[in-house]
Amino acid sequence: MIVRAALCPSPPLLATGVTGQADVLPELREACEAAVAWLLAAAPDAVTVIGPATATATWPPDSFPDPSMHAPALNRLARLAAPATAPGPAPATGPRVDPLRPALPLSLVIGAQFLDGAGYAGPRVLQSVSESASPGACRDLGRDLAADAPLTALLVMGDGTARRSAAAPGYLDERAEPFDTVVEQAFRDGDMSALAALDPDVARDLLAAGRPAWQVLAGALTATSAVRPRTRILYSDAPFGVAYLVATLEPAP
Amino acid sequence: MIMDDDAAAGSEPQPRRTPGPLRLGGREFPPERALVMAIVNRTPDSFYRPGVTWDEDAALERVHAIVAEGADLLDIGGVPAKPGPEVTVTEEIRRIVPFIERVRAAYPDLVISVDTWRHEPARAACEAGADLLNDTWSAWDPKVADVAAEFGVGLVCSHVGVALPRTRPHRAAFSDVAADVLDRVLLLAGRALAAGVEADRIVIDPAHDFGKNTWHSLEVTRRLGELTATGWPVLMSASRKDFVGETLGVGVDDRLAGTLAATAVGAWLGARIFRAHDVLQTRQALEMVASIKADRPPARATRGLA
Repeated sequence: MIVRAALCPSPPLLATGVTGQADVLPELREACEAAVAWLLAAAPDAVTVIGPATATATWPPDSFPDPSMHAPALNRLARLAAPATAPGPAPATGPRVDPLRPALPLSLVIGAQFLDGAGYAGPRVLQSVSESASPGACRDLGRDLAADAPLTALLVMGDGTARRSAAAPGYLDERAEPFDTVVEQAFRDGDMSALAALDPDVARDLLAAGRPAWQVLAGALTATSAVRPRTRILYSDAPFGVAYLVATLEPAP
Repeated sequence: MIMDDDAAAGSEPQPRRTPGPLRLGGREFPPERALVMAIVNRTPDSFYRPGVTWDEDAALERVHAIVAEGADLLDIGGVPAKPGPEVTVTEEIRRIVPFIERVRAAYPDLVISVDTWRHEPARAACEAGADLLNDTWSAWDPKVADVAAEFGVGLVCSHVGVALPRTRPHRAAFSDVAADVLDRVLLLAGRALAAGVEADRIVIDPAHDFGKNTWHSLEVTRRLGELTATGWPVLMSASRKDFVGETLGVGVDDRLAGTLAATAVGAWLGARIFRAHDVLQTRQALEMVASIKADRPPARATRGLA
């Protein structure tokens, strides 16, 4: 059963080192860390990280997060910065560390990084949900997660639209801000049915990557309790034209 | 013992270009000669000094200036790379074709490149006298290669990852970006050959920042030797781009030093054509590298030699 849930965004710029020398959006990072700390404060038996990816799959809990797909020089730079931690020459840049193993999806990389940063050493499940999963499939996956025996905390990784401004990576689409407002209001109200009702085609058009993850969350919390969860919004902004939302959700007892 | 021809051929990425000159228009450029491609944008909203050559007379003045500064080619574009208001095919042709005609009339031998990814403007530009089709969006329109073949002009084969024309890279990711670039540009070079584009008029371009982030563009630059080793002339378009700005933490007006550094690295690694806003400085950087490589004698050496 789900004891607590938190929502964080998962842009590549939250992965350690990806923004280079600059610390970009520290307030977003701090909001995510606060949400994760709150999540872990319930002392759950296990944490499940849910994030969108190309396929629905459960990933090995010790999966190696390799951000080199977004930042080819990062593994080498990290080694140069901390030579004492690993002997031998700094790795070459280029092909990522273990090209034969499928790369852990970005959303789960970021989630795992926040758990590691909080010092969480307990059992974890890394669960990706397909970007094209139907609302029904997401609801069912969420229901299955809620039915698991241990007291589980959910860390849900899900970004809003990427078309909030002319400078946004997805350029400007006037539908983007109203869409993000609906999502934020749903989290503010703990309204899981509003999340379940989001149109996947519109979400995809607006590059709202989080849609399937939000709907998994909605399925899980709806299966946990008929009463709306108590929620807090810790961050809501789109500084790069991509909507980032950080929230906590506490199921009613 | 039977030689495994496939294995021998597969040890190097294909197709390869046999060493030799690059032919553009009526000119022949030997392999060790680095060329400056001067940018003249026929747009009101390109990223650097927007609108400065939007007026046709101002644009022609700019052409006089860059020819005087030693540009080898001129690259004329009518549509910015970034997202924005639609520029129709008709409008694009209006922006570039009369201008190409004026330039061609003033400079019969200047190599004219056209920055377009659609076959209709490409055709109109060739009819007006263009010598090279600079398709920076990686053959989104496969007919551009057919136009190049039909008119006997050159073609740039570029890489943009998964990006569609006039889109920004959103979370672009590659297992190995340099390998992805190599695969894509060689695929397009092979298609160009099959379409009838002459081998010595084909150019390859990793297209810095197109469908790639700063890390990717730096990696592509670092491993440019993998592209130049194929024998195809490599076009490097790094001028004042965002990967330079993000690397140094500077705005578009302060990126000349970073651009010249990337230019020098590219030249050292064997790139042939450098698309530039700052023609004189780029020419000087290339000539410096060429002399360091011993591909070019110094302009005038007398110190210690009297």
